[in-house]
Amino acid sequence: MSRRDVVITALRGEKPPYVPWSFRFTREPRQALCAHYGVADEELDQRLGNHLVELGSDIGFFEDLGRDKHRDVFGVVWDRSVDKDIGIVCDFPLKEPTLEGYAFPDPLDERFFADIEAKCGRQPDCFRLFCLGFSLFERAWTLRGMENLMMDFLEEPEFVEELLTRIADYNLAQVKKALTYDIDGVYYGDDWGQQQGLIMGYPRWKEFIYPQLERMYGLVKAAGKFQFIHSCGDVDELFPDLIALGLDCFNPFQPEVMDTFALMQQYREQLSFWGGLSTQSTLPYGSPEKVRRESERLLEAGSLGNYIFSPSHAVESDVPMENMLTFIETAQTQGAGIMISGA
Amino acid sequence: MRTVKAPNDMSEILNTLTESIKAGKRKDAKAATEQALSENIDPQQILAALTMGMDDVGRRFKANEIFVPEVLVAARSMKSSMELLEPVLAESGYTPDHTVIIGTVEGDLHDIGKNLVAMMLKGANFSVVDLGTNVGAQAFVEAAQTHKASLIGLSALLTTTMTAMREAVALFREQGLAAKVMIGGAPITEQFAQDIGADGYATDAASSVDLARSLVA
Repeated sequence: MSRRDVVITALRGEKPPYVPWSFRFTREPRQALCAHYGVADEELDQRLGNHLVELGSDIGFFEDLGRDKHRDVFGVVWDRSVDKDIGIVCDFPLKEPTLEGYAFPDPLDERFFADIEAKCGRQPDCFRLFCLGFSLFERAWTLRGMENLMMDFLEEPEFVEELLTRIADYNLAQVKKALTYDIDGVYYGDDWGQQQGLIMGYPRWKEFIYPQLERMYGLVKAAGKFQFIHSCGDVDELFPDLIALGLDCFNPFQPEVMDTFALMQQYREQLSFWGGLSTQSTLPYGSPEKVRRESERLLEAGSLGNYIFSPSHAVESDVPMENMLTFIETAQTQGAGIMISGA
Repeated sequence: MRTVKAPNDMSEILNTLTESIKAGKRKDAKAATEQALSENIDPQQILAALTMGMDDVGRRFKANEIFVPEVLVAARSMKSSMELLEPVLAESGYTPDHTVIIGTVEGDLHDIGKNLVAMMLKGANFSVVDLGTNVGAQAFVEAAQTHKASLIGLSALLTTTMTAMREAVALFREQGLAAKVMIGGAPITEQFAQDIGADGYATDAASSVDLARSLVA
């Protein structure tokens, strides 16, 4: 069975031959792993045995403005003086609650599709996931500023609705083109959660976010593809709504904010999870033995299907190499103790 | 000659002010503050009406009855009122009992949570000195000494930066600062607060007000 088929089996809630995995790393640990394995960056995913090949551009494209400032194609300026992967928003284009005078970038920019063939060629048997980050709420707040958007929900609801509709239009145009390639699923990244609860609250999520997700997921499901999303934080109150919209797989599945094992049971055959291994405590602060035990427990819980093993976020630079190698090897040698894939 | 407002009228104005804060109606809050000042109501009573409104906002936020958008519009309304009230309070010789130095620790540029905490503390009538983000431990020490702070609030979003809290608290202790230290942010836990010798940890902006009040009590 190809890795692609293992993932599809798991997503369908059927028992896979073993639990598929797919790991993400921020820049520094990724470089450290490349050095450890003696591989180039583009070879690392294959060396890890990742089962998903991520296509498109999760965070988009940036123009280097110098002094650690980078402007994305939406006109948002990011400060990367500290966080080198994405950075934080330091200037945004929508100073007032209006789209007048603002032009969206081209959703069909060739750069989003340029490396699809090459990546699929490097990992030909992987599940092909077209990824679109900052896909709705996050795009809105980066364009308008977080505090402004929060207050706009109350004071400028028509503007917020228009903004989210236009962002979803952009996504739909890009995904329509992505669906012309031989892909298996679409992934929308959009953080809605805090450590406790939704930042905008459920009623506002349902009023503003849900209708756009209905359009976005609808396109993917009509094409017969799998729908993935990523939202950091405590968002499990949304699972019934997301399942109703056709969601297949939820990432990053953080154990610090939700009861991962209970949720795996509760949503068995309804929703798959990708993630689950603690990045806020076990990976940076736990022993390799603790990493192994938690990994094995997740792999056991996911053995019936509906699960893709991974840390609950891209691994940060504070995770010791030994802990990284422990969860990687635990995945690769699960079950019979034989290297399944990736060597 | 100043005419003092009859108690019933006065309580109506102050009640309107409290309700404007609770509802996050900035213009109404400003108008009620202007009216209260023009009617020569004791500025400390006006301040108490504002604080009562923000306390109610904090209570409903903790109970998940309202969310960040409502807190932000309430805090903005409070700010509009305070811009009018502060000069009058200063003229009367009034200053808040306690000053808090707040900031996101070195290596971390995230400020959404820290800003919410600062707003809620201002709403609870703490004097807040916000040092911003990526703040070194020594800068907290200097600000705490300059402003004779009762409290220092440290924020971090990342596991990679929460370790800076440990170093900061160690420096505060080494320097013999009298200020109590409260910490918060996504990866922070009560256990971590205890481990690094902080005086308290709060899970959210509203709870940080309760914590701050208990630490200075």
